Amino acid sequence: MSFREKIHWVAFISLSLSFGWFFLSYPWSIVNTPAGIVATAGMLVPVTIAIIGSMSVAAAALAIRTPKEAHLKEDEREKTIHLKGTHMAYYPLILGVWANLFAIFYHISPAGRLNLLIATAVIAELVRVGAQLYYYRRGY
Amino acid sequence: MAKLPFDNDIKTLRFLAGEMTQGDLGDKVGVTRQTIAAIEQGKYSPSLEVAFRIARVFGKPLEDVFHWAEE
Repeated sequence: MSFREKIHWVAFISLSLSFGWFFLSYPWSIVNTPAGIVATAGMLVPVTIAIIGSMSVAAAALAIRTPKEAHLKEDEREKTIHLKGTHMAYYPLILGVWANLFAIFYHISPAGRLNLLIATAVIAELVRVGAQLYYYRRGY
Repeated sequence: MAKLPFDNDIKTLRFLAGEMTQGDLGDKVGVTRQTIAAIEQGKYSPSLEVAFRIARVFGKPLEDVFHWAEE
């Protein structure tokens, strides 16, 4: 498994766990109140720290173990894999934008829309990284 | 995944070139070991530039490395 593929696995797992905790632990009973936005903002802090922390530690550990691979430039196959993943992420992103537009029309609370936006970004990111992992596993 | 319409002799050529590893060939061509493995297994179609670079490493013309499968 290449250095970049390992980093992608770390990103996929840390995103899934961090935002899994976020959405499962969120106090949905207050989502329609102003406190809902404060709760979202407050919970985003540990999530962000957990993702950045795990990614940094993993990248450093993997780079120490395989320094040669860590310094390799992306080759043409990897660039194509990354482009394909980004292309796949466009679809959940655009669906999320439309969902947010409808949420505004139907007067969903600001905290509700904020969480919908976060969910859109998270799903798009998981699709991007997941698709790239799939192509890495498949060879292309 | 659709099978590529061409195959290659990279594995044989590596063996004949002093049992060159995929990593060594990747270093010479400027791609990762995994990319060489994917090309060898017919999973990835390399760019014309990479195909020429591979052929040049073995000192062979392109058609001695890659073959159109229908021929």
